[in-house]
Amino acid sequence: MKRFLLYLLSIVVVFIAVVYLLDYTFTAVYKDSKPRNKIALAYKSKPQHYDVIFLGSSRANNHFVPELFIDRGYKAYNFGISGSRLEESALLLKLLLKNGTKIKNIIVEVDLNINSNGFSDAVRADFYPYLKDSETIRDYYRHKNTDNFKELYYLPYYRYLKYDARIGFRELFFSAIGKQSKNLQHDGFYALKNTGKNMEYDLSEYSPKKNVAYEYIKDICKSNKIRLIAVTTPMCRNVKNIAYFDEVVKLYPEIYNFENVVTNDDCFSSCGHMNEKGATIFTKYLLDKFFK
Amino acid sequence: MFFNSLSYAIFLPVVFCLYWFVFSASKKAQNTLLIIASYYFYSCWDWRFLFLLIFSTGLDYFTALKIENSISKTEKKTWFWISVGANLGFLGIFKYYDFFAISFSKFIEGFGFQVNPLLLNLILPVGISFYTFHGLSYIIDIYKERIKAERNFIDYALFVSYFPLLVAGPIERATHLLPQVKVKRNFDLQLAKEGIHQILWGLIKKIVIADGCAQYVNLVFDNYQNMNSLSLALGAVYFAFQIYGDFSGYSDIALGTSKLFGIKLLKNFDYPYFSRDIAEFWRRWHISLSSWFRDYLYIPLGGSKGGTLMKVRNTFIIFLVSGFWHGANWTFLVWGLLNALYFLPLLLSNKNRTHTGNIESVTVVEGIKVFSQIGLTFLLTCLAWIFFRAKTITEAFGYIGRMFSNLEFKPQYFVIERYNYELIPMVALFAAFEWFNRYRIEPVSGKYSYLKIAIGIAVLLLFGVYSEYKNFIYFQF
Repeated sequence: MKRFLLYLLSIVVVFIAVVYLLDYTFTAVYKDSKPRNKIALAYKSKPQHYDVIFLGSSRANNHFVPELFIDRGYKAYNFGISGSRLEESALLLKLLLKNGTKIKNIIVEVDLNINSNGFSDAVRADFYPYLKDSETIRDYYRHKNTDNFKELYYLPYYRYLKYDARIGFRELFFSAIGKQSKNLQHDGFYALKNTGKNMEYDLSEYSPKKNVAYEYIKDICKSNKIRLIAVTTPMCRNVKNIAYFDEVVKLYPEIYNFENVVTNDDCFSSCGHMNEKGATIFTKYLLDKFFK
Repeated sequence: MFFNSLSYAIFLPVVFCLYWFVFSASKKAQNTLLIIASYYFYSCWDWRFLFLLIFSTGLDYFTALKIENSISKTEKKTWFWISVGANLGFLGIFKYYDFFAISFSKFIEGFGFQVNPLLLNLILPVGISFYTFHGLSYIIDIYKERIKAERNFIDYALFVSYFPLLVAGPIERATHLLPQVKVKRNFDLQLAKEGIHQILWGLIKKIVIADGCAQYVNLVFDNYQNMNSLSLALGAVYFAFQIYGDFSGYSDIALGTSKLFGIKLLKNFDYPYFSRDIAEFWRRWHISLSSWFRDYLYIPLGGSKGGTLMKVRNTFIIFLVSGFWHGANWTFLVWGLLNALYFLPLLLSNKNRTHTGNIESVTVVEGIKVFSQIGLTFLLTCLAWIFFRAKTITEAFGYIGRMFSNLEFKPQYFVIERYNYELIPMVALFAAFEWFNRYRIEPVSGKYSYLKIAIGIAVLLLFGVYSEYKNFIYFQF
């Protein structure tokens, strides 16, 4: 039995060694490889000077066309991330500023994402490779009392295991071989090409709430003297409870309600997402309104 | 509590330590601990069904004694049928009642009558198909006077409820397990090491292979109308690996766990996808169930002793019953039927026992023949698995129809942001690995075992699926 217990102990030692080795390798690869998502870009890129950046969810990622800004001489980048909530946008902004990046204007999409104060577990995962290296990320999640922060921070490799679909071996492999990601092409804008059919959206369960992350973004902008432009973005015609957007403005009067700037259904890929045609019309409208 | 859960990772070492350090003095103490642990393990799912398990155990224990002590044949027969009736009754009520009630009402509705069947909507007690078959084999063996009835209730209860095999087998025989339970177990270093290796290998099969495939399989089967021929073909192949990795992985963990307690369980899988025909496949797949049906159904029905018609009838009966054993759905019945049809040509040409041994090293020409046979058997199996996996027969036929009619073979990009072909290297590597280790129970033991353990742990951590927890498929049966 003694020999067996020693044998088990040696397996535990092997296990711990493998876990530490994997944690070290994953972290090193993510740290040293070319960025494959916008969070890595914000964390790793050299300090930039942006005239405009865009923040928000997929309704920012698919709706704001930086190229149109660039054509008019503005340095612009779309940092909208599919699935993200304002909490992730706030942390991404903090990372950019911590990096030494200077930003003059931020256009943030604030609409469906203030239906709750939630967060995106999937997008959070993209921050976790840098959890130990980045004070900003560590403090942000520690301060937020994130569920299982201690496990994520102290247990080696745990974060890669828990979020394997997002930062597991597959993503590690692509990072290691430097495979380009679609996320970073076209200055962060991801164009949807198709036109939707029989589109509809039900907002009857939605009601806007005071959003901690949005307030935080406002504070950051104020203290860094960044002009913040908060906007709602268009939806298709067939929406139940479209009054939701009026309620958003009632809650936060500084938000510009642009829900009805684009209305033709041929400008939409799905009810909540404009296609490239709609995004172009919408971005031109923003340019004309705020950057004359 | 599942074998791939954190709670099991705590439960197993605790029981192991108690077993060898606190309760090791006598067989009685060891068995008492194991029965308490087993009941605790079972109650983690739903403690209410623990009473059913205990009742079922008690009933079989009692009726077995009654059968053995019967003075007349009539009395013996009466007790035998009471036990069989009760066992099958529980199984029927919990597993099949609603299915038959709905099927019957649909059948009646076909004649224009309106029927509102009384449904029980019962939750299926986990492992009921397995422990019922344990009990049945025991009762049949007593009735046929192959073994003596067990008089020690703890020993018998452990035979039925031993936690490594309680919820998904292997389906043990009293002749194999009871003699091991009847003696005090002494610690066997080599056996315990093998157990650890088998658990590790089982976890790799489950978490890496089965759960890895499951993500793709679910997508393909749930959206088969939008999939092209390539995706559908890959979906079927991935499911073949998923169910093999899942169930054989489970069995490996069960056998490995049991070895830690000094008890050897029946082998349940023997590299079934390297079978050269369907008959061989069924000698290598879920061996404990196949042999159960052979010994307790096929042979009593006359087996292959009668004429051709009798043989064909018996073959269809065991395959259909085997299919239906898996679940109350017509899809399982068709799966069984399809396997019977595959088996039929071999039976009629007396070739169903052509391939009984392992595949030895062969010449190039023989190798081509062997691999063609293996490939064909695998393809037939994959086709049958589509019925096993589909929710309805219509869905299964729709899947197969589209697979053979769409004829598009472009890689498809799934909503999980992966291509359908991404798993191919992993399953191919796994198949190759199994091929080179086909003479062994598990590939970890032997030379360089520490290195293999380290690689195994790394593979488990690197390629395993952890973000989405997946239960074992056979727990639902």
